[in-house]
Amino acid sequence: MSSPREGHKLLEVRDLRVHFPTEDGVVKAVDGSSFALDRGETLGVVGESGSGKSITFLTVMGLINRSSARISGSVLFEGEEIIDASAARLRDIRGKRIGMIFQDPMTSLHPMHRVGDQIAEVVLTHTGASKKEAARLAVESLAEVGMPSPETRARQYPHEFSGGMRQRAMIAMALVLKPSLLIADEPTTALDVTIQAQILELIDELKEKFNIGVVLVSHSLATIADVSQDVMVMYAGRPAELGARDQVFQDAQHPYTWGLLESVPRPDVRVERLIPIDGQPPSLITLPPGCAFSPRCRHVRPECTAAVPELRDRGSGHLDACIIEPDEKTRLREERLAALEAGA
Amino acid sequence: MTEPTTTPDATPGATVTADVPLVRARGLVKRFPITRGVVLQRAIGHVHALAGVDFDIYAGKTLGVVGESGCGKSTAARIVARLLEPTEGTIEFEGRDITTLSRRQMVPLRRTVQVVFQDPYASLNPRQSVGQIIAAPLRVHGVEGDRRKKVQELMAQVGLNPEHFNRYPHEFSGGQRQRIGIARALALEPKLIICDEPVSALDVSIQAQVLNLLGDLQRERGLAYMFISHDLGVVRHVSHRISVMYLGSIVENADRDALYDNPRHPYTVALISAAPTGERGARTRRLLLAGDVPSPAAPPPGCTFHPRCPKARLVSGDPAEVPERCRTERPVLTDVGEGHQVACWYPIEKGDAEKMMEIQASEITLEGDPELGVAQTEGLTDAQPRPDDLVDGGTGL
Repeated sequence: MSSPREGHKLLEVRDLRVHFPTEDGVVKAVDGSSFALDRGETLGVVGESGSGKSITFLTVMGLINRSSARISGSVLFEGEEIIDASAARLRDIRGKRIGMIFQDPMTSLHPMHRVGDQIAEVVLTHTGASKKEAARLAVESLAEVGMPSPETRARQYPHEFSGGMRQRAMIAMALVLKPSLLIADEPTTALDVTIQAQILELIDELKEKFNIGVVLVSHSLATIADVSQDVMVMYAGRPAELGARDQVFQDAQHPYTWGLLESVPRPDVRVERLIPIDGQPPSLITLPPGCAFSPRCRHVRPECTAAVPELRDRGSGHLDACIIEPDEKTRLREERLAALEAGA
Repeated sequence: MTEPTTTPDATPGATVTADVPLVRARGLVKRFPITRGVVLQRAIGHVHALAGVDFDIYAGKTLGVVGESGCGKSTAARIVARLLEPTEGTIEFEGRDITTLSRRQMVPLRRTVQVVFQDPYASLNPRQSVGQIIAAPLRVHGVEGDRRKKVQELMAQVGLNPEHFNRYPHEFSGGQRQRIGIARALALEPKLIICDEPVSALDVSIQAQVLNLLGDLQRERGLAYMFISHDLGVVRHVSHRISVMYLGSIVENADRDALYDNPRHPYTVALISAAPTGERGARTRRLLLAGDVPSPAAPPPGCTFHPRCPKARLVSGDPAEVPERCRTERPVLTDVGEGHQVACWYPIEKGDAEKMMEIQASEITLEGDPELGVAQTEGLTDAQPRPDDLVDGGTGL
């Protein structure tokens, strides 16, 4: 389990806040996020646009410009505090200790350089390896991610690759120096369904093989369901729910998670009418008082708007930020599922 | 390819005779030339976007079209909207052939077919107010009457506040913008709306709102939809009948539940298997396909799916071997009962899905290295396009 607890974690984030002052007010993109991750684990992070999921991990990687943002809290990576680390130290960590892949592999690869050279550049930047050695590692890394004929592929340009192959090349680049943490931000969103399945499977295989920690950021609960040990659901810059995969999927505790699980049309079961989450996500400048989800919540009560709810442990490391008592929630959830059944 | 199709609610086995579909497409072929040279744009090959597809769309019903990028689903939609001309084939609208109508003759028909696009940011003019955007079709087609009143009625119908007609698109969220696009499509009271990935750009919690709206409008107005999507969950939710496309051809046609409960084409099986369900978080076993979709400029001979097909390996009993028929003869859509059609020489039988999972995608090899996929230039010579489809036999992509 990845709930904050004592011991040496691969990544431990505590009370992370990232605020962007703008002319219209302060955008609270991340407003109190805490979680942890071990080697060999995958943490799936789910949220809609503006939930703070991407900003959280850009901050972890030190990719948020400190002159435009107010950052507070703690980011412990392999026991080292990196939230205020120097730019040089962060550059060293990125690429070497933390690998990253992003949604669109076409814009992440330089169109005018050979794929192999781009991967080799990571090696040359971070180690004292020779050009020849770097090129050899690049080919090896391409082979590692299941690229057929890696020697030929290394000499080709990104436009000669299909979408799935480009994402494999990105993964090869992220993992060429055998980092301990891989952060994948929507790695399959731009890909076709059958290729998505291949890439998720690949990430999972590599996680086992190299015993690395993986953060999988996605807007879709279904995408992360398969390969995550732990799941964090984010809403308006804060975790709404955090727990082991089965806890979150089978015994969801936050009404926002319920809404996500209920509103998505599924290929395996059909309902007559979907149950959407009403309204829109809130503005991050003027967050609603108390629980940020309360204006959209069907079970809202006066106490909900009194104070920002804390993440509370419901036992065995399953945390949620809803003040409704567990017994009552069990009842509400059963009612909702019954309503869903009736529609099916 | 011209077997009669049944309506979604037809009795099993019955074919359509009396019931004229709203849209009847037959043998649609679309080839885009690949040109080289600046002045004399010599065609050096073709992208085979559509390789002969048939489909029917019925009033008040939804035809869902699923497939991966490059399968031709958007091309088919554009041809139905007459935004593209087919290279071959015919489109009938309410029994009347509209393939050869002139631009002017098309004008009254354009009112009956409208389109809702994927990206609600790119499909609305940022410099026009919502009122102007929704009224645009009324203006273009010279519809008389109180346009503002009409616009406000439309806004109310799609769940927008009618008082906001003077606002601009940037003042609305993605979901609201898609409602604006839907209101614009409804303005001329069309019979058919082509929805090209209408919810793909929206957040999960907003998708359901828009899908419910589309469902309500269909019930209230008897609208027909041609619904293009890559999301199998969404397609199952909205469709009455579904066509699965692969590399320019329809490989399977079936009523909604029949397709998901009893898919007969190996590609459909793989597509459904690959779609994440979030089934209570359980780890499900997936049928992984080897490699990528081949280039539509050089589709493989025979069945276009054969280089990736796990069923072909099951039939041959060897992961490196494909039955000769799959490699040489192109299968046509054949009725397998109850209006279920499949274009496969060896349709899926009970128990095949499990057996296909035994064949690891990594073991699948054929004629060198088909896994190299779309952009592999050397590989293109392996796949032989039919000679008559090419201007000078080139395959330059």
